[in-house]
Amino acid sequence: MGAQIYKNKKLIWVFLLPAFLFMVIYLYYPFIQNILNSFMHIKYMGTAGGEWNTPWYKNYLALMSDPKMKIALKNTVITIIATIVGQVGIALVLALLVSNIKKGSGFFRTVFFFPIVVSATALGLLFNLVFLYDKGMINQFLQFVGYLNRESNQLIDWKSKHAMFTMLTPVIWQYVGFYFVILLTGLASIPADLYEAATIDGASRWQCVRYISIPLLRNSIGTCVILAVTGALKVFDLPWTMFVNGMSNTWLTGTYMYSKVYSDVDYASAIAVVIVIIGVILSAAVNRIFRQNVDYQA
Amino acid sequence: MKNNKGRAISPGYAAVYLILILWSLTTIFPLAWSVMNSFKDKKMIYSNSFALPLGEAFSLENYRNIFAGYDILRAYRNSFIISGSVAAAVILLSGMAAYILCRYRFRGWTLLNLLLYAGMMFPIYSTIIPVMRMQAKWGIVNSPSVGANLLSVILPQIAGNMSFAIIVLIGQIRALPVELEEAAYMEGCNMFQTYFRVVFPLCKPSMVTVGIFSFLWSYNDLFTQMFFLRTRENWAITILLNNIASKEGVNYGALFSSVTLIVIPVLVVYLFLNKYIIEGMTVGAVKG
Amino acid sequence: MKKRMTVILAAVMAAALAAPAFAEGVTINVTTTYAGEDSNAQIFKDSVAAWEEESGNKVEDSSATSDESFKSRIITDFEAGSEPDVLFFFNGVDSNQFVEQGKVVSIDEIREEYPDYASNMKDELLGASPVDGVNYSVPVNGYWEGMFVNKEVLEAAGVEVPGNETTWDEFLEICGKIKDAGYTPIAASLQEIPHYWFEYAIYNFQSPETHNTMPESVDDEYGQAWVDGLNDIKALYEAGYFPENTLTATDAETFQLFTSDKAAFLIDGSWKIGGITEAVDDIENFTVTHVPGKGDRKTTDEIGGLSMGYYITRKAWDDEDKRDAAVSFVSYMTSDEVVSGFAGVSATALKEGASPDVSEFNSLQNDALTYTASFTGISPAVQDNLSAAAREPIFADMASIVNGDVDAADAVAAVLEANAE
Repeated sequence: MGAQIYKNKKLIWVFLLPAFLFMVIYLYYPFIQNILNSFMHIKYMGTAGGEWNTPWYKNYLALMSDPKMKIALKNTVITIIATIVGQVGIALVLALLVSNIKKGSGFFRTVFFFPIVVSATALGLLFNLVFLYDKGMINQFLQFVGYLNRESNQLIDWKSKHAMFTMLTPVIWQYVGFYFVILLTGLASIPADLYEAATIDGASRWQCVRYISIPLLRNSIGTCVILAVTGALKVFDLPWTMFVNGMSNTWLTGTYMYSKVYSDVDYASAIAVVIVIIGVILSAAVNRIFRQNVDYQA
Repeated sequence: MKNNKGRAISPGYAAVYLILILWSLTTIFPLAWSVMNSFKDKKMIYSNSFALPLGEAFSLENYRNIFAGYDILRAYRNSFIISGSVAAAVILLSGMAAYILCRYRFRGWTLLNLLLYAGMMFPIYSTIIPVMRMQAKWGIVNSPSVGANLLSVILPQIAGNMSFAIIVLIGQIRALPVELEEAAYMEGCNMFQTYFRVVFPLCKPSMVTVGIFSFLWSYNDLFTQMFFLRTRENWAITILLNNIASKEGVNYGALFSSVTLIVIPVLVVYLFLNKYIIEGMTVGAVKG
Repeated sequence: MKKRMTVILAAVMAAALAAPAFAEGVTINVTTTYAGEDSNAQIFKDSVAAWEEESGNKVEDSSATSDESFKSRIITDFEAGSEPDVLFFFNGVDSNQFVEQGKVVSIDEIREEYPDYASNMKDELLGASPVDGVNYSVPVNGYWEGMFVNKEVLEAAGVEVPGNETTWDEFLEICGKIKDAGYTPIAASLQEIPHYWFEYAIYNFQSPETHNTMPESVDDEYGQAWVDGLNDIKALYEAGYFPENTLTATDAETFQLFTSDKAAFLIDGSWKIGGITEAVDDIENFTVTHVPGKGDRKTTDEIGGLSMGYYITRKAWDDEDKRDAAVSFVSYMTSDEVVSGFAGVSATALKEGASPDVSEFNSLQNDALTYTASFTGISPAVQDNLSAAAREPIFADMASIVNGDVDAADAVAAVLEANAE
């Protein structure tokens, strides 16, 4: 990529500065405070740190032997895999399908966006009803088809027996639309003449997808994977609405941090630091994987 | 090519439509369910949330409650000022930064990239308190001026959406053919001209996407609003409706009418901006 | 509503005669928790308007629904110097921070200049600060916790509504019969809201005099009461008296069991009356009674208190323009008439007692008045003495305690250790 034009770097700070200035003031500086907080003893959220912990790394020590943190990390790994495969995978399939049809593509583009705009509280309520124990949508359905015995009102407690599945289904489902929009945007910027040339050469529709769309979407897919990984690390609202207090061992790093935000400020700060460190490492790794042979192949 | 597709829909197409329709059913359902329940009395929601609001079950009570005691138009106005400014600022600033981070290599490049990922991970709970202290010192918190209060929400939200936007736009710019920029350079364009005349227009669909999501997240960001928008004339729509729906945890009727009133403007904005994404789409779509 | 307005109007006129007229209006910033659909939000709004009218001053109202982020906002406000002039807030540990820093003015100090301030209230009920035992706030209306009953379920199971004399053992028997009849005896989500059961279960091993004492250690008399109480909850769980999915259900879900005639009992606060009224078709089917007791606790000994009050901040007090206005505002909002409007079926600190307008009360509210009239002792909730971090080992982990993963004594020890920090 080492084009001539990108050798002259004198003025690049003019472009970089405004964006990073915002982030320095509103993100990095406050987060440095958060890092300091994680070494202090803080009584209430909103108060300044009093004295340093003894030893100062006490919270991190506690984190390492915290069984809930272990559960949270394990579940978060599952969530990361599920979101990459589920969210980005389904979104990719949907985006490719929608881009290959003529009639109704506008309709699908619009309705696939719906879940993102409905608040997590409302979605949590809805999915609580879907998975509800008695008279829930799924249990009723299973009784209807005869999988569960209707006479004795046999029921499945989804939140206890299949807790991770019950929690991850809505989480994954909600954000498919988000990746769908990003991937669709990526598809939009693939020049049409590439497809035209290929079809003239006799390429089938599948070949067009396989050899043009997917390779050229590489960057967008990489972006989505990074967003999915970081999203999985910090997601808390929908899981929290459905699984208060990490019931049935469903803690995620995001929900665990949230559960401590008001009650144990310095400990929550330490969890936040751990989340950020893991997130940065994973994002950098993903970025490296997707940046290989990035050269434009047109 | 068009000719051999002129026949009845092929099995392949049928399968494609089937998948898309199935997925769209799952996405339409929750919204339809929320809107439907917003027209029902809360008691009706308890007894059967999946019933249609017909006949006796139909009630405008939830909406009447909201429109009776609250200046909802003012709240919409505040929301659009906040989220519109956030989206515009994010598009402008993130695009420029993404361009440099994507095309240039310089000292500190790796560090800036790591900071970028980190910026996406900071939970709002760990940054809000220092931000509030800082802004209180500047006098834009709890200020008598509505503008200042709105600004105290706009600024942190711009920062909060920046990382995400830059990362998406880097992915986009990386996919652009560098030859176009080289051509511009040959014709004597400087960095500013290359960006604003060549790169920016080519990224329009992504810019719109970034704008939509910045708008959406700013609009729905109840937490920041709760800290900085305190009095009624400052309320944005999300906090106003949350105030109505929150106190009684059992009042689902108020909740669903709030959800409906919050969602509608976002969908309008999305539909309106979506055509810019589609514009790109129709050029790039595989033609049948 | 009409009656309520006349009460307020009467208050306005009474106050108008008493209070000196201000030459020029002052604007004071007021933050309360009367917001959202709080049933008192409208009364608050009306009262504020009435005070504005009468005093010629203006109120900048930044009230919000009370939750954890609201509390943090208030604490940060005090630290950043952007606190309101008058604050209606909790008088328990949540207020410690700004009390310790001297950012609110004590009632004694106010009385030096305004001798009549809060003179209509019983001083011992004002709600002294846990920091120094000094009174800083003036309460409006209090709360109590009681056991709501679904009469239809009891009828179907062929049992009587527990009364003032019902003992714990009799209660267990009743629960057994209800369960045998195919109903859920107790509507509670132990996963989400075990708080009420915790309070009464340990109360059963104490008395109104001792209940609000924090244990020093898990082995002392009070610590032992906590452990015994938790084990009682565990016994109820093992007997199957809670809903089958009490460890995974939300509070809203179990509340619905109660309102849809599937569960018999619900322990909740006085504020729940509104919620029950809204949620059911036939309010006559519901009543409220005492939680059956054992040991030193009489069945009629209750949990309740006045947990919130009006503070005047140091910032407003030191501002010559605002001092008068703030005092006048709080005096107005805590006058006998206005407090009676807020009180409903809850307790107040008024010397003369509240005179709520009972003409529009429904049957549950009337039952609640009978219920409060039969209190023999009252104690504040001991959990209000716990810091948020200290509550966790019990309240966020009740599921592990009742299913035996965590020993009750270990949980209590963890709570006491966290609270000592």
